[in-house]
Amino acid sequence: MKYLVTALSLFALPALANVPITGTVEAKCVIQTTKDGVYGNPIASKLSTTPADGGVLPVIRFDVSLADSYTANITHPTSFSTSPTLNDTVAWTGSTSVTQTSVAGMSAYEAAKVVVENTTIFDLTLAGSTWFSTASSATYGSSKPFVGGVYTALVQASCIAK
Amino acid sequence: MTPAYPVVKPSHVAGVVKVEMSLLNSREEIEWYQIELFDLNWTNIPFASSYRIINIGYKERKSFDVYIRKSDMDEAVYLCTTSKVRKTSKSRTLVSSRICSRLDGEPA
Repeated sequence: MKYLVTALSLFALPALANVPITGTVEAKCVIQTTKDGVYGNPIASKLSTTPADGGVLPVIRFDVSLADSYTANITHPTSFSTSPTLNDTVAWTGSTSVTQTSVAGMSAYEAAKVVVENTTIFDLTLAGSTWFSTASSATYGSSKPFVGGVYTALVQASCIAK
Repeated sequence: MTPAYPVVKPSHVAGVVKVEMSLLNSREEIEWYQIELFDLNWTNIPFASSYRIINIGYKERKSFDVYIRKSDMDEAVYLCTTSKVRKTSKSRTLVSSRICSRLDGEPA
């Protein structure tokens, strides 16, 4: 009897069941602001986000889950969204650059970027995160001093499915 | 906003189709997003939805349906959500983010 129980126990296998786990990876883009931009005022007639001018460059992070599904279109400002009343023209300049990447191959984005007027277009050909910074500078007409007050301008960051 | 390439489904209204979308707010400083529909040249196309502007908390996800006339579907390309930024008392740049899905299908 002792030998029979031992023999049977050798054949007593644990109950097993395969539980499938399924998932789908779909194209997805997430935009986050890593750093807010601040205008410095190096001379009375100029507002600039460039650190050399006392400003802070805004940094925007794009996360894409699938390669080659989106373009990042980043538009630097050409007007103030809020400002005191200005009676003269404002000359705007700006640019957008890649500042950090999660995948080494993304460093090619900078050389491949396309600039159309005030919009810079990056083809997000790899999955992962890319950080962009946008420089913005505004110079008041005829080197007049800017009127005292709060100035804000809008950077438009778009992630557009291809 | 997902999906990037939404499936266009029939709706309960004749001559109107529907797309089901989902939006996740990953920006702590943003509470409101606007839904917009554009053609290939970024001209607005009319649509209907329970929301035009969605109030959504940080890390919150909301689903919404967008209803589009069948007759507009030949033109409708980009379905986008754009963040609405708040007025600020500091001289700074604000970032408005826009995510756009494509209604004319995945690239070949």
